[in-house]
Amino acid sequence: MKTHETSVDSFDAEALKELRPENQLGKTALVLAAVCVAAWFSNVVNGAPLLDALPGMLILYVMVIIGLVMGRLCPFYLPSVAWVSLISIIATLPVFPGSDWIIAQLAAVNFLAVVTPVLAYAGLTLTGREFAMFKQAGWKLVIVSLLVFTGTFIGSAVVAHIML
Amino acid sequence: MDLKLLLNWRLHLMVIVTSMFAEWIGIVRIPLGPGTLLLLPLLYAFVIGVLFNPHLFSGMGKIIPKPVSSAAGPIILIAILPFIAKFGSTIGPAIDQIIAAGPALILQELGNLGTMLIALPFAVLVLKMGREAIGATYSIAREPNIAIISDRYGLRSPEGIGIMGVYVVGTMFGTLYFALLAGYIASLDILDIRALAMACGVGSGSMVAACSAALAEAVPASKDELLAFAGASNLLTYATGLYVSLFIALPVTEWMYKRLKGSRQEARHENS
Repeated sequence: MKTHETSVDSFDAEALKELRPENQLGKTALVLAAVCVAAWFSNVVNGAPLLDALPGMLILYVMVIIGLVMGRLCPFYLPSVAWVSLISIIATLPVFPGSDWIIAQLAAVNFLAVVTPVLAYAGLTLTGREFAMFKQAGWKLVIVSLLVFTGTFIGSAVVAHIML
Repeated sequence: MDLKLLLNWRLHLMVIVTSMFAEWIGIVRIPLGPGTLLLLPLLYAFVIGVLFNPHLFSGMGKIIPKPVSSAAGPIILIAILPFIAKFGSTIGPAIDQIIAAGPALILQELGNLGTMLIALPFAVLVLKMGREAIGATYSIAREPNIAIISDRYGLRSPEGIGIMGVYVVGTMFGTLYFALLAGYIASLDILDIRALAMACGVGSGSMVAACSAALAEAVPASKDELLAFAGASNLLTYATGLYVSLFIALPVTEWMYKRLKGSRQEARHENS
């Protein structure tokens, strides 16, 4: 991918396919290490000290890598998020050997602290084109958001009401 | 992917400093009327990131060069994955509760499809929105839903802009809005209060808390029961929500979007 501004404008589905994490495992493993370090530090404030959280962060790293490899090897397409969550669910099931230890190590990693760096990356890597897009759609998104919340809540309540 | 730009140390250091600062501020609760406005660290991290974005303020190019910012977008696809792993690890240990929770809890997840039935036609037909309407309306736009959109379209696509917009609005006002909505609908006395409690489970932790607290306030006698239903529903949303979003909600939204867009273009054609 060129670094020039115009290449970002042609950021289409085809380009995205090339960027899929599972298609470039080597590069992804390095970038993943960098983002895990960021999450690891972010976790210090409301999670656990660096050394205490190290096994937990390494487990998360390994789970993601296994998920990506599964996604790469699997004959049918499942997004990497689905693979990674599946690996994580299986590894923490009570029947899985050592799941108690895995859960204990992961407890040192704060749930929200892992997602804070993601949003920092998101804010830092928005381009001029996206700012323009949001400016154009901003107030509309507020209205749509309220409709989304209302629709989800009432939809779920009606289905649950019928089932009860 | 240009590895040199993706591993730019200034970018990652900036993210670490930003995240630690955001975590240090912590969760801020602002009481507002019947609910509480809840501000989470990830919101500050996003805002700080935007403020240091070289494309918005060209002076910031000294800290993070523009080419780095432009090329680093794919990092988000990767950065969300450790979170997904952490997320999945909350489901494994609770698998017995999830199985025991029963079909009503599982099926109410399908009620989340009500989201797009109302919001998508409005977004496309009334507000004339483009593909950002798909990201905005296919789900309630919490973290797992963002992960799906980021994986499929990228967070810098129109769909990504849509879901981030709803995410930010939800983070800022979702808690308050859910508290108001739940209390109001409970006062109408049309739907079973336990059904409303299950519906509270759809959102993030703070939304669930505010929503079920509002219901408990409306019907104090069944407070414990309501909180239990909301909690179990929230757990199930974590367990099944990702898959309902991925395999049902997103394809249906795509399909509806094409139909709505198609009819709109035809209508415009007839007018001209």
